[in-house]
Amino acid sequence: MLEISDLRKRFAGGPDAPGGKVALDGIGFSVRPGEMFGFVGANGAGKTTTMRIVMGVLQADSGSVSWQGRSLGYDERQRFGYMPEERGLYQKMRVAEQIEYFGRLHGLGPAEAKKATDDLLERLGLTERRSDAVQTLSLGNQQRVQLAVALVHDPEVLILDEPFSGLDPIAVDALATALQERCRGGVPVIFSSHQLELVERLCDSVGIVSAGRMVATGTVADLRAAEGNSLRVVVRDPSPGWADGLPGEVTVFGDRHTLRTEGGDDQEILRRAMKAGHVEHFGIEQPTLTEIFKEAVA
Amino acid sequence: MNGLMLVARREITTQIRTKGFLIGLLVTALLVAAVSFAPKIFGGPTSYTLGTVNSQQLPLQAAAPDAEVTWRSFPDENAAKQAVLAGDVDAVLVNGVKVLTDGEIDPQLGVLLQSVNKETKLGAAGVSIPPLQMQSVGADTRYEAARAGIAVVLVLLLFMLLMGQVMMVAMGVVEEKGSRIVEILLSTVRPWQLLGGKIIGLGVLGLINLVTIAVVGLAAAMVSGLAADFPPGIPGLLAGVLVWFILGYAFFATLSAAFASLVSRQEEVSSVMTPLTMLIMVTYFVAFYTTNDATGTLATVLSYVPPFSAMIMPVRMAATEVPLWQVGASMAAMVVAVLAVLSFGATVYQRAVLRTGARLKLGDVLRTR
Ligand SMILES: Nc1ncnc2c1ncn2[C@@H]1O[C@H](COP(=O)(O)OP(=O)(O)O)[C@@H](O)[C@H]1O
Ligand SMILES: [Mg+2]
Repeated sequence: MLEISDLRKRFAGGPDAPGGKVALDGIGFSVRPGEMFGFVGANGAGKTTTMRIVMGVLQADSGSVSWQGRSLGYDERQRFGYMPEERGLYQKMRVAEQIEYFGRLHGLGPAEAKKATDDLLERLGLTERRSDAVQTLSLGNQQRVQLAVALVHDPEVLILDEPFSGLDPIAVDALATALQERCRGGVPVIFSSHQLELVERLCDSVGIVSAGRMVATGTVADLRAAEGNSLRVVVRDPSPGWADGLPGEVTVFGDRHTLRTEGGDDQEILRRAMKAGHVEHFGIEQPTLTEIFKEAVA
Repeated sequence: MNGLMLVARREITTQIRTKGFLIGLLVTALLVAAVSFAPKIFGGPTSYTLGTVNSQQLPLQAAAPDAEVTWRSFPDENAAKQAVLAGDVDAVLVNGVKVLTDGEIDPQLGVLLQSVNKETKLGAAGVSIPPLQMQSVGADTRYEAARAGIAVVLVLLLFMLLMGQVMMVAMGVVEEKGSRIVEILLSTVRPWQLLGGKIIGLGVLGLINLVTIAVVGLAAAMVSGLAADFPPGIPGLLAGVLVWFILGYAFFATLSAAFASLVSRQEEVSSVMTPLTMLIMVTYFVAFYTTNDATGTLATVLSYVPPFSAMIMPVRMAATEVPLWQVGASMAAMVVAVLAVLSFGATVYQRAVLRTGARLKLGDVLRTR
């Protein structure tokens, strides 16, 4: 289990913020092996800072990160895979050499690194480009090389900072599949994203961060249950004032009136709606992650 | 350790494969060889073509063993005159009493002919004159010119190599910072490994350059005969120069990495490096100046002061005999300076290299953690 507890980080102030800037104000969550964890939050909420601290690229002021019960050091992190928010590759280095180099840096032997590189190139469809300089590749292919660099050493833990940003829908699917495969192999995967539908579709659990604090964590189902379901009724051309006295809010679009509520007697509401006009829709709806997110950070 | 070596190896293989490196190496090798042959081609040992008309050849060769003397004989004075005017011969001895030349005679040749002529005549008359024995009561100055020449070449070489490799370090640091690859690198290797590996890798390339130059230069000097003029102790001097290159390079390259880590774009490298390039230039100019006065106070004092010692001690070592303890003391001071610079440079690098964007101020980096 990867456990992150009570991380705090303050950046030294510049001319615009003389008092310094609190980036993390007690971030904590944990991810089990084989769990995909979605890390969401507005820009500047502290996702990148948290991931950098986990990867040891930044030092926290306080708090701890542990993997399988041991606090993280360089040796443990060598077996992690990381894709930073700001991508970077040696532009003039050849594709295969670059992936191999990172394999070696992560502790693979020469033969292992070569084999892992060949396998990955094959899987990512880059075998023909193996001897080309990275700078001659299309942006999409460079993204694949970036992923290969994070995966080459068959990492025990995967940390990816906005891995889906800038990908076309097909590349999104390919990356999602690659991550799910790793996850099924027992690797905890943490990724941050602003694409909440994607997070909702892929992740077992989600952490919502706002202004350096975790405002909600848990499985998507738990978060939904906490948020509560809502009832949505759509009535066409109802008599005026039909919803007076009913809970919830009515929105009008053309001659369609939509009532949305989280409480009240659903049978009573249905009767009133049927009496008032033509009921087009009546159903219990689960909140989307977007709704949960907006509610949580409000 | 593994990370350090992997980083160093990448630097070496990447650079060696570039056309620039090989061409640079080839050009320097050719240049060094050309310089070693130049004295032979231009100055060279003097050679005289002389003629005789109705005269005995004079034993010039014995008096001037370094010169190449060729003799031709002419049937009469007219034929000799024409050969002189055509430039076929430098001078013609006529009847053993007169020398024909085209214009004023070469002064050395004139003195040579006069003295050999006298000696031969006197010898024929039964007078033998023992040659004067030359004895110096001052320092051994036989190799002074050669030593000064070697010192000048060494300083230039050290300067060019230091400057070149130090700029490579700066550009490499900015390449990694600017392309953001440094963040992935630092998630697998420690900052000192990344910094140290780069410095070691590029330093090895510098050494390859230096050794190539030394080997080509020495080989060419042997072939061209220039090596005959070399003072004793050249191997020791070369070993010393290697050590000084390593020390000087470690000093400047570490500072270079620290300065370069303050910027994120290649265009900003030269401006952020200005203080450092100035320091290297000043060191070079002072060292160059001391080649004229290698035993003076300035040279003696600065040969102990890092980083000047990295270029000035080699000058002193080339130009005069420097006691071993002095070389040792100067190296020890430089090693201490290198260690200090390493700890300073690593701190700056570590703090600055992830802060991409606008150029950072050194003071801010040192103040904030
Ligand atoms: N190196 C830094 N120096 C100063 N402030 C920083 C630095 N890195 C991040 N911050 C600040 O910390 C906060 C969190 O940033 P970040 O972790 O990048 O957020 P996110 O990834 O969620 O968008 C932001 O307010 C950001 O401005
Ligand atoms: Mg971010």
